[in-house]
Amino acid sequence: MTAQPTPSPTVTRAAGPSTLDVSVGPQHPGSGHMRILIRVDGDYIVSSDPDIGYVHRGCEKIAEYRNYVSNIPHLERPNIADAIHLNWAYVLPIEELHGITVPPRGRYIATIAAEMNRIMSHLYWMAIMAGVFSGHTTAFMWGFGDRDLFIELAEMLTGARLTYSFLPPGGPRRDLPYGFEHRLTKLLDYFEKRLPEYDRIFFSNPLLVARTKDVGILRREEAVKLGVVGPVLRGSGVKYDVRKLEPYGAYADLDFEIPTFKEGDSYSRFRVRFEEMKQSVSILRQALHNIPKGPIARKAPLAVPEGEATGRVESSRGEIAYMIISDNSDKPYRVKIMNGSFRNLIALPFLLRNVHVADMPIIYGSLDYWPVEADR
Amino acid sequence: MSQAGPSREETVINQLKTRFPEAIKDGKVDRARRLTITFEKDHVQEIARFMRDEMGFDHVKGVAGVDYPTHKKIEVLYFTGSFTKTDIEDLLVILKTELPRENPLIGSVTSIWQSAHFHERETFEMFGVKFEGHPDLRKLLTLDNWEGPPPMLKDIKFPEMGQR
Repeated sequence: MTAQPTPSPTVTRAAGPSTLDVSVGPQHPGSGHMRILIRVDGDYIVSSDPDIGYVHRGCEKIAEYRNYVSNIPHLERPNIADAIHLNWAYVLPIEELHGITVPPRGRYIATIAAEMNRIMSHLYWMAIMAGVFSGHTTAFMWGFGDRDLFIELAEMLTGARLTYSFLPPGGPRRDLPYGFEHRLTKLLDYFEKRLPEYDRIFFSNPLLVARTKDVGILRREEAVKLGVVGPVLRGSGVKYDVRKLEPYGAYADLDFEIPTFKEGDSYSRFRVRFEEMKQSVSILRQALHNIPKGPIARKAPLAVPEGEATGRVESSRGEIAYMIISDNSDKPYRVKIMNGSFRNLIALPFLLRNVHVADMPIIYGSLDYWPVEADR
Repeated sequence: MSQAGPSREETVINQLKTRFPEAIKDGKVDRARRLTITFEKDHVQEIARFMRDEMGFDHVKGVAGVDYPTHKKIEVLYFTGSFTKTDIEDLLVILKTELPRENPLIGSVTSIWQSAHFHERETFEMFGVKFEGHPDLRKLLTLDNWEGPPPMLKDIKFPEMGQR
């Protein structure tokens, strides 16, 4: 079975005269700024073709005309729910080309910001997924409400709510502000009490379970073949996490698990993200406890030595890699962005076949696809 | 990592060089977990099949084009890795080849690495690289009414965006 877009030879139902082509989007019916062309036969989707690019801005092209530091704000914009990870993956290869390492305290601060960002992004997903796509308004309110508490702390740390531009080459812009540790510890205490409630009310909710179990099954070997990443891959039973495989930041010193579920359905992708929030709480506590004293950043010159380097981090939507080619000037010769959303896109036409139309939002939501990140 | 004998990175390069003595032009370890292998473009599918079936590199993370107008060439880079083979799963192998700028043409690897599907489509659109054998080589990201040349080429500039 292959994931080919319409018209697909693997689809038999399309042969009949009863089929109908329907355009879903791009005016944001919950699908985000993209369009999915679906071919339906009665209540069944027989094939689908994602039509993306509605929010393509040519980030890679723009990056070639700006210097390395002024690239940071616009290269993190593609995913405002997950800006730290985009920023971090971009500066790692620059630091590699400079041959500088960020001081330990700076790495811990970046890790704290990144894990807070992961919780925020997963809460955002939970709010949209359980709240909007499966009609559970409480999840929408709770998810956005609790996410805002983390946003406030991120603002305290970085000065911005979503688009932080917090990590220039060399290390974070600021040290932890006065009282930050105390406030984050208090927030984690609160959030840890919230998680069992989320589990009880949303993730174990019989309605949500019925909507998601055995829906959109992506088996292990299919997930590997399609090259999906992040929670989608781990929801299909592949233990793959850049934080463990190629530890960056402070992850080598921290103890955490990689949650995986082998079923590969939408529900296991749900569960992965829920368990990841628990792990992020544990990582944040350890990081706050172990954070060393000392300098936070080193100076990095604006011009980057000639060479090619690829850096990667594990974002909320999976592995993000940036390849940078430098020609010894202050502007990159080429920036290539490889991110989770674009890599997970291939799972969409694969899963939207022979499923009910009503399952489409569930499957789409379970991928946590972020159109702007994919379009760049 | 201090170990006797060749490192895991060198083992990968040696395996490929032994199997394809003519096709592999160069292989170098950039740093731990990163290796760049330069190869002859006509052998892309054989190399991909060997890497998938014999070495365990089961997916493509991305396909990048890089335009070098002064050298009259376009480089195509395949970022590959493994999800399933634990001893190489942390490696990021970059396969690199160069195509003539006037007629960039290379075999598609989608029949071997299905994960390359959208990445090849993107590189086709942005750099004009034609991937022979791709099942669905259409535009992906640009506007439907974009009639211009591949926009990521270095001589294409958008003055309204301050590109001069």
